[in-house]
Amino acid sequence: MKNDNFIDFDKNDDGIDRAGFLKCMAWAGTGLFCLMSGGILKTYGMSQIIDKSTGGIRKGIDIAKGDFSFAQISDSHIGFNKPANPDVVGTLQAAISKINAMPSTPSFILHTGDLSHLAQADEFDTLEQTLKSAKTGKIFYVPGEHDVLNDNGKQYLQRFGKDAKGNGWYSFDFNGVHFIGLVNVVNMAEGGLGVLGSEQLQWLENDVKGLSSSTPIVVFAHIPLWAVYPQWGWGTRDSEQALSYLRRFGSVSILNGHIHQTLQKVEGNITFHTATSTAFPQPQPGTAPSAGPMKVPAEQLRNLLGLTSVNYVEHNHTLAITDLPLSSAKQEQPDHQ
Amino acid sequence: MLLKKKYVVILALAITVAVSVAALPSPNNDYKNLQVLPKDISSKDLTKIMIDDFEDGLGVSCTFCHAQGKDSLNVDYASDAKPEKQIARRMMTMTMGINEKYFGLKHPLLGDSVLAINCITCHNGQPRPGDVETK
Repeated sequence: MKNDNFIDFDKNDDGIDRAGFLKCMAWAGTGLFCLMSGGILKTYGMSQIIDKSTGGIRKGIDIAKGDFSFAQISDSHIGFNKPANPDVVGTLQAAISKINAMPSTPSFILHTGDLSHLAQADEFDTLEQTLKSAKTGKIFYVPGEHDVLNDNGKQYLQRFGKDAKGNGWYSFDFNGVHFIGLVNVVNMAEGGLGVLGSEQLQWLENDVKGLSSSTPIVVFAHIPLWAVYPQWGWGTRDSEQALSYLRRFGSVSILNGHIHQTLQKVEGNITFHTATSTAFPQPQPGTAPSAGPMKVPAEQLRNLLGLTSVNYVEHNHTLAITDLPLSSAKQEQPDHQ
Repeated sequence: MLLKKKYVVILALAITVAVSVAALPSPNNDYKNLQVLPKDISSKDLTKIMIDDFEDGLGVSCTFCHAQGKDSLNVDYASDAKPEKQIARRMMTMTMGINEKYFGLKHPLLGDSVLAINCITCHNGQPRPGDVETK
């Protein structure tokens, strides 16, 4: 009987094989730490760069001093209470603790949707209260499909999108980088695919029209803007139109959530990255009858959500939105909370 | 005199009935077309059924059963334009019937944790149970 914990193809003698690395990476990090340096976005799973004994960056990880940093968290699903994670507030707090432990305070946080599980007022309240403990400048949101249930997103807009356009899309500039928050969950297509819609696409075209091609672009939205696994609705039907407005830029980073696991893809100058959830894992594409909360043994949950005990060996290079191993010589101890 | 007393009694009864009806809890929702689920179901309970039983149980999203609005891309939750919605109603009725008839549950409601069977029992994450491969 195969034991998935064994390393089968450890060609580099570094303690991890490719399949194992990808598997570990899928669950590592309750959030992402993003470092913008010279227009290049580098993304790190937070649990993999912090030495828990010191609270600082682990030895062997070389993070160049960037212009600024920000964190991404996603899919908090406040209100979810099924066996896959009966304490989603606790795991969100764990993600915030990791953000607060960063050696340099992130300038802001991006939350890429599914703040709530059932779009209820008390769930949004809890999320806002919990995130108040995050030591960061500001939190920018885009909705997930769970945030717009029942009312097509009216409550979400009242709370988190007062200054946004349409169903909640907007853009802002920070230190020369242009950030664009898109909404692809309000008018979802058959099969659960995300849809941006013509009004938003028109806005996007106008929004970037006047920008120099050298302007670094960061796009964030809930459902991936690339076809991760359309059979499960893991993609956006009209994303290609949006990407056509962005291809002329030298550096485009697209951050998404929704699929509760880390996947990355590079397409020309565009880098796609999906984040893990702070609430519960989902199966890898095609490995289950459908997407949905995946129950794992209780003692593994926090590891899978980011308080990982996976051991990485130093490679002296960092993960920059590609499937490259992060380096770490120290095994992280599980959290005991 | 007797006639006057009758009128007074009738008037008093009418007022009592009117006050009582006004005091009844009104549905705390704006749902316009609930036919199987209780009309006074709370937003939270209804949404939970939609997520737990339909989204997770069948692996579908809202637009599998709900149509878009005629003049908007937004979902028109009250619309019966898609036949899947009527099928879902029949399935809910059937599921509750099985729980009642074969498992002896009194007045079973979708979403109850005590149900013997629910959507996922047969659907197992698939829109149609027949889609599940047998091994």
